[in-house]
Amino acid sequence: MFWQIFLFELKYRIKRPATWIYFFIFFLIGFLSVATGSTPASEKVFHNSPWVMASGNILFSMVGMLICSAIMGVPLYRDIEHQTRNYFYAYPITKGGYFWGRFWGSFLFVLLIGTGFSWGSVAGGLVGPALGWVVPERIGHYGLWNYFQPYVVFSIGNLLLASTIFFALVSLTRNVKVIYTASILLLIGYLLANFLVADLEKRELVKLLDPFALNTFELETRFFTPVEKNTMLTPITRVIILNRIIWLGIAFVIIGFAYWRFSFQKFLQPEQISKRKLKKATQEPAAPELIKNVQQDFGSGHTKKVWWTLVKIEFLNIIKDNYFRAILGGGVIFLIIDFWIGNTMYSVGNRPLTVFLMDYKNYNYSLFIFIILLFYTGETVHRERTTRFNILNDAFPVSNTVFFLSKLSALFGIAFLLCNIPIITGVLVQTLKGYTNYNFGVYFTEMYLLTFPSYLQMVLLCFAVHAVMNNKFGGYGMAMLIWVVMFLLRSFARMDYNLFFYFYTPNYMWTDMNGIGHFLKPQNWFNFYWLMLGSLLATLSFLFYQRGVTGGFKERWQVAMQRFNGWPRVLTTVFFIAWLGSGAFIYYNVSYLNNYYTGNETRNRTAQYEKTLKKYQNLPQPKVTTVLLKADIFPDERRIQIAAKLFLKNKSGEPINEFHLLADQNVAYSILYNGKSLGYTSPLASPYSVFTFFKKGKDTLNYRIYKLPATMQPGDTGLLEVNSSIANQGFLNSGFSREILHNGTFYSGGIPAFGYDQQRELESDEYRKKNGLSPKEDDLPAYTDTKGRNTILFNDDADLIHFEAVVSTTADQVAIAPGYLQKTWEEKGRKYFSYIQDSPIDYFFSVVSAKYEVLRDAITISDGRKINIEIYYDKQHPFNLDRFVAAYKDGLEYFSKAYGPFQFRQMRLLEFPRYAGFAQSFPNTVPFSESFAWVADFKNPDDFDYLYFVTAHELAHQWWGHQVTPNYTRGANLISEALAEYTALLLTERKYGKDNMKRFLKDELDRYLSGRANEAKKENVFINCNRPYQWYNKGSLVIYGLRDMIGDSTLNKALHEFRDSFALKENPPFAGSHDLYAFLKKHTPDSFHYYLTDTWEKITLYDNRLIKATAKANGKEEYDVTLEFSNKKFYADSTSKEAVTPMNDYIDVAIFGAETRDKEGRKKINPLFIQKFKLQEGVKKMTFHVKGKPVKAGIDPYNKLIDRIPDDNLGEVDLE
Amino acid sequence: MQLTISNLTKTYPNGVQALKGIDLVIEQGMFGLLGPNGAGKSSLMRTIATLQEADSGSIFLDDMDVLKEKAAVRRLLGYLPQEFGVYPKISPELMLDHIARLKGIDNGKERKQVVGALLNRVNLYADRKKNLGTFSGGMKQRFGIAQALMGNPKLIIVDEPTAGLDPAERNRFYNLLSELGENTIVILSTHIVEDVRTLCSDFAIICQGEMLHRGKPDDAVSNLEGTIYSKAISKAAIEEYRNDYKVISVQMKGGNLTIRIYADSDPGNGFVPQPAVLEDVYFHQISGRMNVITL
Repeated sequence: MFWQIFLFELKYRIKRPATWIYFFIFFLIGFLSVATGSTPASEKVFHNSPWVMASGNILFSMVGMLICSAIMGVPLYRDIEHQTRNYFYAYPITKGGYFWGRFWGSFLFVLLIGTGFSWGSVAGGLVGPALGWVVPERIGHYGLWNYFQPYVVFSIGNLLLASTIFFALVSLTRNVKVIYTASILLLIGYLLANFLVADLEKRELVKLLDPFALNTFELETRFFTPVEKNTMLTPITRVIILNRIIWLGIAFVIIGFAYWRFSFQKFLQPEQISKRKLKKATQEPAAPELIKNVQQDFGSGHTKKVWWTLVKIEFLNIIKDNYFRAILGGGVIFLIIDFWIGNTMYSVGNRPLTVFLMDYKNYNYSLFIFIILLFYTGETVHRERTTRFNILNDAFPVSNTVFFLSKLSALFGIAFLLCNIPIITGVLVQTLKGYTNYNFGVYFTEMYLLTFPSYLQMVLLCFAVHAVMNNKFGGYGMAMLIWVVMFLLRSFARMDYNLFFYFYTPNYMWTDMNGIGHFLKPQNWFNFYWLMLGSLLATLSFLFYQRGVTGGFKERWQVAMQRFNGWPRVLTTVFFIAWLGSGAFIYYNVSYLNNYYTGNETRNRTAQYEKTLKKYQNLPQPKVTTVLLKADIFPDERRIQIAAKLFLKNKSGEPINEFHLLADQNVAYSILYNGKSLGYTSPLASPYSVFTFFKKGKDTLNYRIYKLPATMQPGDTGLLEVNSSIANQGFLNSGFSREILHNGTFYSGGIPAFGYDQQRELESDEYRKKNGLSPKEDDLPAYTDTKGRNTILFNDDADLIHFEAVVSTTADQVAIAPGYLQKTWEEKGRKYFSYIQDSPIDYFFSVVSAKYEVLRDAITISDGRKINIEIYYDKQHPFNLDRFVAAYKDGLEYFSKAYGPFQFRQMRLLEFPRYAGFAQSFPNTVPFSESFAWVADFKNPDDFDYLYFVTAHELAHQWWGHQVTPNYTRGANLISEALAEYTALLLTERKYGKDNMKRFLKDELDRYLSGRANEAKKENVFINCNRPYQWYNKGSLVIYGLRDMIGDSTLNKALHEFRDSFALKENPPFAGSHDLYAFLKKHTPDSFHYYLTDTWEKITLYDNRLIKATAKANGKEEYDVTLEFSNKKFYADSTSKEAVTPMNDYIDVAIFGAETRDKEGRKKINPLFIQKFKLQEGVKKMTFHVKGKPVKAGIDPYNKLIDRIPDDNLGEVDLE
Repeated sequence: MQLTISNLTKTYPNGVQALKGIDLVIEQGMFGLLGPNGAGKSSLMRTIATLQEADSGSIFLDDMDVLKEKAAVRRLLGYLPQEFGVYPKISPELMLDHIARLKGIDNGKERKQVVGALLNRVNLYADRKKNLGTFSGGMKQRFGIAQALMGNPKLIIVDEPTAGLDPAERNRFYNLLSELGENTIVILSTHIVEDVRTLCSDFAIICQGEMLHRGKPDDAVSNLEGTIYSKAISKAAIEEYRNDYKVISVQMKGGNLTIRIYADSDPGNGFVPQPAVLEDVYFHQISGRMNVITL
């Protein structure tokens, strides 16, 4: 019996086109990912490597949930849907045969479809390189098992779990619609769960409880290096096995339960349609008599009434639909969560600013909106057809126009409703969180002026598609296809010319400082452009709107032609002209005024730049010694006029005959050299973008060669006067163009740089090869290189300089430049500020202008110096100012004492709009983005005070970076970044306690390990560091680790000495990584030299692991704790190949009591015992006697060493 | 009022020729359409009901061009198709109220009265607040009748309106229809041939898109009077009789077959003369086109 039903199911399925379409979709995903190289693989990882295959298989088996719901929902429901149950169950079939036959027959196809991704990847790996879609080096040679092992390990289980759930749901509820809700709820639940467990602490639990093993896999392999990703099949670790056992078990329980509850009788019962409760009127009123001649009115008043009635009905039909409510409910749940939690930094949330909420609403809510609009447009257009009411409806005396417009209007109403939900939710969340600066202007502008049109555009397109298509599902397919094709083109083919992508507009961002700023204009233009196209399409679709029984294409065409008269003809013309007209205006702005280039063209241009100009790289150029800057900022016009005097000196030791000047694209400038103007040539002339077909001439990239009238001999000086104008014309296709703003200008350019700039070269070797360039050697010169030692890392145009500036801006803003404010005055309604920097600084400055509030404070540090502290902030963000001040004061005091005196008399902090989210240290000035810290909500005493930490880091740069300037050699940047990061860590530790540093150290370790796992080229040893993950994260760890061994005072002494020998040198040589290393070595006792060598000259990794910790009571409140643990040490080479090495290293062994809270309510870790031991590799057992009840114990518990798997160092203590 | 159909043709995209040049004049009163499944009855009715385009030909309701002035026709139209759907979660009262509004009855009070009265006439008044989704086939059909009669239509087209109705309901419907049909054109299609004779002043037989017969039912029957004979025969002999006589229907009764034949003069051979019925007209007309004998 089982077999007949099973085989029938197979035959049924095999004939369904959907089966093969699903398979093909998965095949295509795998194929395109690999064939076009669009996988998450970093540059050293093969696109078809085991790791990529595994993550793809897991992700798409999860997406396959949708397929499971489509396939597993029907086998039982089929007999209800087609009423075949009425006789089918009368056949002599058994319950088991029926149930299991249908289940396995369908599930077999789910399994088959599940292999689509792997087969596609196999094909992609063969075809991609052959067609040149992907470079052959990125495709590895693997056997079939490579592609299918992850399928066997992960996908089968995931598909089975989803399949059993859906099959069981239908079998239990006899309702197929429940599946749509269930799959949405499952997805919501899964995303929610991911959201809630994104905490560092709960990873082990997450690994077990993730039903799709997505997190399990990611966590288990997160530090895989490229070599491991390329060579290792997914390791089937204990936790993966456990996870699979748990979830497969659950799957079998579910299906077993469903089988137990299943019975034919139950399936035969008719479905209860819930009856509206009848109010039994005590007196049934008598039926009225038929009127012989009722009044019928078909005038225009009637038309309006009918339209309004129909709109109401359509609107209510949608909002009363349970699925609409379920989907919207899901969206609202996400909206609330996203609004409530928002973006966090070190798990600390921000206050719910309206400008943030406007970002958050796009995280998940917009996906639900997309689903709703797409789905309900189809439902509405086809409503009569679906219930076959159309055959009555279409004969009613209502015009096509009224039917058409009533449906469209109802959907517009839905779109409008959806626009209001974020406002209501937002205000609610803000109120509940006690934040009352609602900023309704932002809400209304965003939702009604920017978001609402985009929803309308979506409705219009979907509506047009559905109105034209005969068939609802065809309409969905078509509408989805349009979006999928656009998505594929944008992400796979990397096209981004918004004018070609329906519904897309340039990106924009709200800020408290700058509001919607200059983004409103392009948004409005694009929205208008798309609304016109949408309306045009909708109007055209009206011509094909179906009424009654539709015939073939020819007939529909004839009908359409008949309808193309009167208002459809007028509207078509109007919309078409408006669409083209606005398109032309946008084109003019994007391509003509702002020279849009495609990604390929940009890379090609960059390659062109390198090919043509690389020969000038070592050309001697003068150095700037003094800058006298005059900058006039016009915030309203987003324009800056600069007149700068640069005093130059030839420090190169060679004669200089020509100046090579390179400026940004939007800088128009002229120069006078020693009072005379010079002629120039442009060596580079690359063509404009293919999109810019009207523009004549060539793009010179603003690289100019000025021939000097007389040779500049070594030691000669000169005066270069630069007049430049930086303007922003029109608007761009993408990008924030964030430097010159209505409020919050923060600009560091405007003066052309000397010579060829190596930073602009193409970095990715893959793209370099495509553009005919050899792989990039991205290491700086060796530390012995004289030119490198004589050049400052940040800018080769100058050593330290003298600086003065006069900056002007509008009367309501404050303009800031480096230096001490001399005086301010007003002239012609503008405000002028004069600044003089009386000590030498890096040639590294910015001008800032905004409407600021200022907090002034001062500190007199123990060496007697008084330093003014100024915090320039937006008046909406007064929350955390004291924390900034505290960090400045603590840092100025401690750093001055530990490393040497502070070189300035003031220290400033400036807020700038959040278009960029960083803080940067300029001489005595730190611009600090609006996006974080200012508005952080440190309400929990345990919240990591990252504001303090980041501010300390930027302050530390005044020593490390501005006093000691790194030179242009390999690894020198660690002087700036690693020391600043370590110093900040130290200051934080002083404030918050040594035993509470684990969270931070672990975070640094995670970032280092992930950084190296995603390394695209090669990993350098620390002393030659060339990547942020090395100089920030590894840097702070290894210096912190060193301090842990040699102590505070010794390390500070070394750093102080190092600073003393390089601080504020106006002339070369400047400091490199080996200079610092020498000082550290000098002060490190021999017994710890191994650590220095391991961390600075090698890539060293540990695998330290606690195996077991047990405790036995021994006296009152005293215990003997036995730890069993293992140690291992590796050296890795630059390609991350590892080799185990013998060890005899100092490692912490510790036992902890229960955590307590200190008087500020902060969590406190209480070590009962912590000591360093010199340990060799292998498994060891040690016993310690402690006072107090042990709770946790471990080896290297604070993650001071670089441990490949940091999570297994610490474990619970078992009390015997 | 007069409905004039001239040379109406329609071919579906799949090649099926549904109407092959239909010419027909329909006067006020009840008009019956007879024809086998797939004859083109529904196509013809849909076309008159403005729901389908014709390839060629014309339909005029007096001076009104039905194929072009659809909006005007719809104001006069009451249409009950053979198959239709309803919104399951809405009560007939609410639905009819909505339809009344669409049909131009803007006065709320009048609308309420019309809806109530119609529901009463189709015997749904007691169920007026139930959801349509809970209705049985017959109830649904009665709802369909009610909506078709909404707004005093001048042109009523009902396609197999009595399908699924019990005999009592069927009578009730015909009475209602007759009452309304005095100043109205009612086009009715049905498979119950005798209904046409009792109800309709005029009728037509359509087969394979062509009109085979048109006239008054009584005339048609009297024309056949004296040409219909029947005989009980054995099963095995049927082929023989078919070859020799013009068999128009076969009926099984108690293990024997009774055949009815058409013959201009008495065929003898044990055949007994029978009074003609409209069914004989029907079978006689279509037997020339298709094999109607299925046994």
